[in-house]
Amino acid sequence: MRKTVWSGIVAAAAVLCFSAPVFAQAVANGSIGVTVTVSAKAKLTLGAASVTFADADPETVPSLSSGAITIDVKARTTTNGAVTLTVLAGGDLTSGSDTIAITNLTWSVAGSGFVAGANDKTTAQTVGSWTGSGTPSGTHTLALPNNWTYATGSYVATLNYTLTAP
Amino acid sequence: MRHLFALLVVALWPALAEAQTDSATLNAAFTGLARLSFSANSITFVDADPDFVPQVSSSPATITISTKARASSGGTVTLSVQASDDLRSGVATIPASHVTWTVSGAGFLGGTLSATAAQTVATWTGSGVRSGTQSFYFRNLWTHPTGTYTLTMLYTLSAA
Repeated sequence: MRKTVWSGIVAAAAVLCFSAPVFAQAVANGSIGVTVTVSAKAKLTLGAASVTFADADPETVPSLSSGAITIDVKARTTTNGAVTLTVLAGGDLTSGSDTIAITNLTWSVAGSGFVAGANDKTTAQTVGSWTGSGTPSGTHTLALPNNWTYATGSYVATLNYTLTAP
Repeated sequence: MRHLFALLVVALWPALAEAQTDSATLNAAFTGLARLSFSANSITFVDADPDFVPQVSSSPATITISTKARASSGGTVTLSVQASDDLRSGVATIPASHVTWTVSGAGFLGGTLSATAAQTVATWTGSGVRSGTQSFYFRNLWTHPTGTYTLTMLYTLSAA
């Protein structure tokens, strides 16, 4: 009986002092929440701030052309949000009291989502439309018929472009 | 008289004399330990113009990670992170991989978040108390749909 007791005490002491540890895999978990805010934005860059049509003989140059003007659109909107680019003329082409109807000033386009059209001073005309966020780009070329009927003068008009991304 | 005393001693402590020659097989199991804590439990990325801020820094700018691990001698201690999902705002999503991080601290590694596979944030060898920081960035593109996106980064510290 005494042998058994002493053997137990020695064994316990050995466990505390000389035991070889055996590790099981330990795992700890944690988490961090992430929130990102993406808001609507729209940026429009035109390749030219002004366009000039030089005088020309109507018989040899029946249509005056501006050359291609780049349009760079950057828009952030909802997944299926409609992005639209419109143009509204500030008025007719005017030289003193003489005018040329702005509807004569048309444009052709190149690039996905861009559409050809004619300018108007009362209703904004669509230049391009897209769905969702993105950075479409293209060109448009302004053209004015070179009619014999125009009164001489230097005509000026302003075209106002608006990019909308809801 | 002396002989009588000696016999008496032997008679009283026979067990003690015999126990010193015994042997015992000892088995002990110590489970490993791992502790993980963060200086903040959430980060946010505010809206910014992609042309001027192509990589948005988080707020707070850095997260301090503290780890405590008891592993076997030469055992590997690994801290990994996996996104619960892509960044999601209703039906709109942005891949979790648009979140990246840089680090400071021994054993820490820079990386890119993933919703499909755990990415290693840090590795060490053996037991110890370690800390380091993660600085997070969001890839800010014009093509992202608008919205308030969320995900959860799930960290796992394992000590083998």
